Amino acid sequence: MANTEIPLVVRDLHKQFNDTPVLEGLSLEAHEGDVITLIGASGSGKSTFLRCMNLLEVPDAGEVIVHGEPVAFQTRRGKREPADWRQVERIRARLSMVFQGFNLWAHMTLIGNVIEAPRHVLGLSKREAHERGMALLERVGLADRAGYFPAQLSGGQQQRGAIARALAMEPEVLLFDEPTSALDPELVGDVLKVMRELADEGRTMVVVTHEMDFARDVASQVMYLHAGRVEEAGPPSEVLVNPESARLQQFLGPRF
Amino acid sequence: MEQWLAHTLPFLSNNDIFTPDTLAQYWGGLVVTVQLVFLSLLMGIVLAVPLAVGRASRQAWISRSIWFYTYVFRGTPLLIQLYVIYYAFTYVPGVREAGFGAFIDNATYPALLSFTLNTAAYTTEIFYGAIRATPSGELEAARAYGMSTFTAYRRVVLPSAFRRALPAYGNEVIFMLHASAIASAVTLTDLTGAAYYVYSRFYSPFPAFIFVACVYMVLSFAIQGTFRLLEKRMLRHLKPA
Repeated sequence: MANTEIPLVVRDLHKQFNDTPVLEGLSLEAHEGDVITLIGASGSGKSTFLRCMNLLEVPDAGEVIVHGEPVAFQTRRGKREPADWRQVERIRARLSMVFQGFNLWAHMTLIGNVIEAPRHVLGLSKREAHERGMALLERVGLADRAGYFPAQLSGGQQQRGAIARALAMEPEVLLFDEPTSALDPELVGDVLKVMRELADEGRTMVVVTHEMDFARDVASQVMYLHAGRVEEAGPPSEVLVNPESARLQQFLGPRF
Repeated sequence: MEQWLAHTLPFLSNNDIFTPDTLAQYWGGLVVTVQLVFLSLLMGIVLAVPLAVGRASRQAWISRSIWFYTYVFRGTPLLIQLYVIYYAFTYVPGVREAGFGAFIDNATYPALLSFTLNTAAYTTEIFYGAIRATPSGELEAARAYGMSTFTAYRRVVLPSAFRRALPAYGNEVIFMLHASAIASAVTLTDLTGAAYYVYSRFYSPFPAFIFVACVYMVLSFAIQGTFRLLEKRMLRHLKPA
């Protein structure tokens, strides 16, 4: 049953925060080159869903399988937790995350941020990591900002830097948690452009977003979440153009 | 020192107090003070780093016991701590047999011990506060990229926390310098001890103590300057361009 071809499979995730159910049986299969966008109102569980995929949140029930390797869980003192944190660390290194708040390490320069995890998690030499990092900063248009500290960069630059940091791990799946929500409107475009290029390259991506244009143009699959369940899912040409659910119609706005 | 004396001796030739003999006393006191403060700060910081990490631990018994230690040492006067430690070694039987005779014979050791424990307590709380103030997103990013807790602390949390703690720690260093004046209470001839000596020899408190106050002030300024430079370098990442 474990299909090693599929980069990321999650099955039937459940999660509660203080007896409030947040996820009620969510599943997803990200095949090679898929761009899956998760949309929904705030509180619908989409960020929690994403954060369960790299175990930043531990799901109360359900499976997370990366390239056929299921995360092992155990129950201790009534709480479910990963049985082997080393396995979790290994898996996290294969799923890079880009955060809403960038979360760059403030005391490191931009290039320092990009080479940090490749050096100290993947064990690359300083030279290797630096070459890889500079090439990535070049890609996201920040080569001339390599020596700057995050506080000296605009939000858009920080987020593009964070994407370079994510790519430096050469991840099998990229997880984006509302990457443009904290940005000024005029800076959103630069970040989305980089993300579009990544999608065109055939990267496997799971993207929590409010950018409907991005979802429509780039996604291979759109999942609309409501109250911890999938309300509607499918290719954007169906889900975003002819939504069946009344809630999704309402969510997408007055066009429907 | 020699050169300094050559310049100041002619100037001082008309006073009875600041003779080469008393200046040598002050110099000796300066050496003792600097050694005491430097060594206790060094050992204090070595203790404080793991203690601060433990203080931030989610294991309640670790965190609580370290809190208790810092509470005791921050809740009592350093002078009392010094007395307790100094006399403890003479009263507890078997100290000499256990190989700690030096602690009885030479007041430097109990002084160093009490200063170290005291500054370690304050430094632990300073570092602990700085660790707590780590932006949660930065720790989360470290985890999300597959860092173990150890690596995340070594590469992200501690380097970031040390920088944040720098201004407060600079104050602690100056505080320790000034607090070290009480070493003279257990027979050590530190700077203050030297001032006592000069005072009692000439029965002139003002020159003796004002001079030593100036020496402390110069040392404080030097420490302040050093930390200002350090902060400029280590905290530049917090300044917007």
